[in-house]
Amino acid sequence: MNPTSTTTPNVSELDLDAMKPRVPWLEREGVLGYLLLAPALILIVIFMAYPFGLGIWFSFTDKLVGDPGKFVGLDNFLKNFRSQIFWQSAWNTLFFTAMATIFKTILGMWLAVILNRKFKFSRFTRAAILLPFIVPTVLSTLAWLWMFDATFSVFNWILNWFWKLDISIFDLVIKAPYRGRLRINWLGDPGWAMFSIILVNVWRGVPFFAITFLAGLQTVPQDMYDAGAIDGANGWQRFWNITLPMIKPIAVVVVVFSIVVTFADFQLVYVLTRGGPHNSTHLFATLAFQVSMQSGNLGEGASIALFMLPFLAVLILWQLLYLRKEESA
Amino acid sequence: MDKQTETTKVAWQPGMSRREFIKTTSGLAVAAGAGWGMFGQAPAFAQERELHILEWSSFVKPADVETDRQAAEFGKQEGIKVRVEHINANDLNARATAAVESGAGPDLIRLLGNQPHVYAKGLIDHGDLIQEVGGETIWPSLRDGVNVNGVYRGVPYFFGGGAYVYRRDLFDEAKVGPPQTWDQFMDVGKKVKDLGYPIGQSLGHSFGDPPGFCYTLLWSFGGSLIDKNAKVSIDSQATRDSIKYLAEFWKSACDESGLAWDDTSNNRAFLGETISCTLNGASIYFVAKQNWEKKQDPFVKQLDHFLSPEGPAGRFHTISGQNSCIMTHSKVQSAAKNYIRFIHKEENFEKFFVINNGYIIGVVPKWREHDLWSRDPALTPYRDLGTYGQHIGYPGPYDRRSQEVFAKYIIVDLYARAVKGESPDSVIKWAESELKNIYS
Amino acid sequence: MEIRVGETYFQRLIIFYIPLFMFLVAMLFPFYWMLITSIKPDAELYNVRSIPFLVKEPTLEHWKFLFQETLFGRWALNTLWIATATTVVSLICGVCAAYALSRLRFFGSTTIGVSIFVTYLVPPTLLFIPLSQVIANFPLFNLYDTPWSLILTYPTLLVPFSTWLLMGYFKTIPKELEECARIDGASRIQAMIRIVLPLAAPGILSAAIFSFTLAWNEFLYALVFLSSPLQKTIPVGVVSELIKGDVFFWGALMAGALFGSVPVAIVYSFFVEHYVSGIAGAVKG
Repeated sequence: MNPTSTTTPNVSELDLDAMKPRVPWLEREGVLGYLLLAPALILIVIFMAYPFGLGIWFSFTDKLVGDPGKFVGLDNFLKNFRSQIFWQSAWNTLFFTAMATIFKTILGMWLAVILNRKFKFSRFTRAAILLPFIVPTVLSTLAWLWMFDATFSVFNWILNWFWKLDISIFDLVIKAPYRGRLRINWLGDPGWAMFSIILVNVWRGVPFFAITFLAGLQTVPQDMYDAGAIDGANGWQRFWNITLPMIKPIAVVVVVFSIVVTFADFQLVYVLTRGGPHNSTHLFATLAFQVSMQSGNLGEGASIALFMLPFLAVLILWQLLYLRKEESA
Repeated sequence: MDKQTETTKVAWQPGMSRREFIKTTSGLAVAAGAGWGMFGQAPAFAQERELHILEWSSFVKPADVETDRQAAEFGKQEGIKVRVEHINANDLNARATAAVESGAGPDLIRLLGNQPHVYAKGLIDHGDLIQEVGGETIWPSLRDGVNVNGVYRGVPYFFGGGAYVYRRDLFDEAKVGPPQTWDQFMDVGKKVKDLGYPIGQSLGHSFGDPPGFCYTLLWSFGGSLIDKNAKVSIDSQATRDSIKYLAEFWKSACDESGLAWDDTSNNRAFLGETISCTLNGASIYFVAKQNWEKKQDPFVKQLDHFLSPEGPAGRFHTISGQNSCIMTHSKVQSAAKNYIRFIHKEENFEKFFVINNGYIIGVVPKWREHDLWSRDPALTPYRDLGTYGQHIGYPGPYDRRSQEVFAKYIIVDLYARAVKGESPDSVIKWAESELKNIYS
Repeated sequence: MEIRVGETYFQRLIIFYIPLFMFLVAMLFPFYWMLITSIKPDAELYNVRSIPFLVKEPTLEHWKFLFQETLFGRWALNTLWIATATTVVSLICGVCAAYALSRLRFFGSTTIGVSIFVTYLVPPTLLFIPLSQVIANFPLFNLYDTPWSLILTYPTLLVPFSTWLLMGYFKTIPKELEECARIDGASRIQAMIRIVLPLAAPGILSAAIFSFTLAWNEFLYALVFLSSPLQKTIPVGVVSELIKGDVFFWGALMAGALFGSVPVAIVYSFFVEHYVSGIAGAVKG
């Protein structure tokens, strides 16, 4: 072949491989993907996956403090199933989580709808509403502990003052219904104690729900509401048929996330009641902590803590499937 | 041709970004190092010798001050830096567990009760120190707390227990005196509650007053959770008698919000004058005395104490000691041992003992003869706690399982639920199954 | 003041003003309580007969005690340092991971994505004992009792949610922008840094706020991994040093609670708008 010829070279004689542009390895999706994931993965493997594996191992052994313990199979779990305290904690956890989440969702949504307007001081209000979420949990819980105190509770003081008031309207005097000393045992009565921990958890969580729902609400264009209003829908109908469907995706994520966190809640109960009165507010987390720390039975403690996972796994699975369905819709 | 130039251009970029990448990571590494150096801990080989002691925050504040002072004095003597850390007693367990499991942390931890049994694997042999402190003369209940299978894993420093503090003026007004038996106590209680100042007893989940009351009630009626062979023995007539007694006592004599109380609520209630009598270590008296010294508040003059009432099986008190325990991972074990010797020297312990003003007692009987007890007659009942005192495993062994029973508040819940109206049979059945689960 | 279509003043009162007022009272009453308690002298605090809402003789003794007699100032600095560093670490991990999972296709990305989410299921009460072994036996550096024990472990709690948030936000940024940049000669990484990140700023800010808050708040790990008073964070320091035996220094405790939250809230108030739009962006995606 004449090299100076201007005819097109024969393709079969070209070295195509040498001509392919070399994609630098940092550009390849496969490599870059792993590189970018590396920091998160490294941290998670060392500080989460490995301890988690250890924790699972503990739950199958009779490990005590300082003692490696030997494999005992399902003994710890069987011991838990035989213990009334364990089942009580299970029920407490489910009830507490369910009630708290329901109230947080409803109240959070309500607050978000209220805040979804432009008004003076809206920035201040939003920041003020966030305060319960920002303040360190331990400290705000201590404040509630003081407000619930058996002798000095401010709520009892208010109730007392109110309950003993004679109300007079237009010359008709309604006598105070209760003359004695009204004292609600906020943390000493099993029913009230459960109410109290739910109350504090809701107080703490509503801001997070509200602000997140608010964000969701702001993605709903105002024209849709106006259209609905013109079509004759009242406020409630607009809410139910326009607002709710639009924020369902974010609502699902927030609610599931909150359930997971509330289910594993530890600080609140630890500070307020330590699980009492007689185990009526013990959650999985506080029971596991008590068993591990005070009797040094780390194997049993791990088995109690582990028990939370099946419930949560089911929930997460449902969330993932639901989101996958929504995405493809 | 244009395409080729473009490819060449792209081929160069990764080189630059790689450089940028390295620049950023090394920058981060430098920052990390700087931050670590500033705020973190210096590497082990650069640290000076330090003895780190971990203990509770005392209910008697000046005691902590004295502990710190003695520790500093010892440090000067021994030529080592001593650091005493006081934390909330309820958090001691978490720290001790983490320390034993991770092999790092304080050198000496002051463990309560029989916790040395729980952490035995992480504690050294203190046999020699035990002999120096008193050996066989140490109260048996306290010795059992540190004696794990024949090896002493700690040295009892002091012990405490509760007695009943009461208002003499209110008792006089109700025309009653300090009771000697439970029946008398019931009578006293009814009269003071009618006056508006009931007895205050905590039945909540805290480690001091509630178990202190419940165990002594059960023992003095002749019952026990386990017998001396560690067999569950809660189901007995004695238990039922004690439950019947308490149910009536609670309604007619006690402040019924006590179900929610922790170890501090009865202090506050008593000092806030809503109750007239409560079981307590001497901390209420201590605060009252301080108020007298600081503000001439005469409240303290109305206070007095009486011992736990006698039941059909005698008089009992629940006592538990605080034990100095050296960790196996400590690098300054000999200094720690010398520290223990130092604080047990008679003149040093006496200072600590006097400052506590009856709240704590020395571990050998000779401290009963100290003139602190006669100087302040209101404190005299506390002198005899050692004689009547038993540990929570009584009459069985003081081992890890008794600690688990204690930690699960089984006996406290037994009484709390009975008091709320649950039938004795159902409550005993529950306690029995929980106990069998632990002692099986 | 925004007025909705066809809404009367009376309706506004019922639907807006009154409920807003009730919520504000409910959310903020405990803070009012903290404020009152922090300036009330002890004699009034423990007097059953005094009115809880009012202070007869306000005093600054609790605040003075907090800052002079305890290491509160130091704890505040520690907490600030730890929370900030944790946020930076979580953001780096989260941004990179979210970018990789939402923009790049590679083998195993779905599995890894799912497993990252799943990690927030694992309760800290299960982890903290094994984790203390890891912390103390870490090769080369003993992390125990250093802020790094927290800075490296908190992200494991924060990365899942941050990643989800950022993924949602990244998905709203059109791929075309990046492709244009790459055609102009930028590398993937440059495209990521120069194009995607600035557009995702609200989302990043939201993740930052979330991470900072949780790190600021955390208690259990801080309790177990830190021991010397100089290293403690606000939650742990306050609880361990201001609750001595049976005495709760309520005045100082409440002062600490206020100081540990109000300044942060003020800073947040400037970012709350961005936080809201950040989540909105993630939702749209």
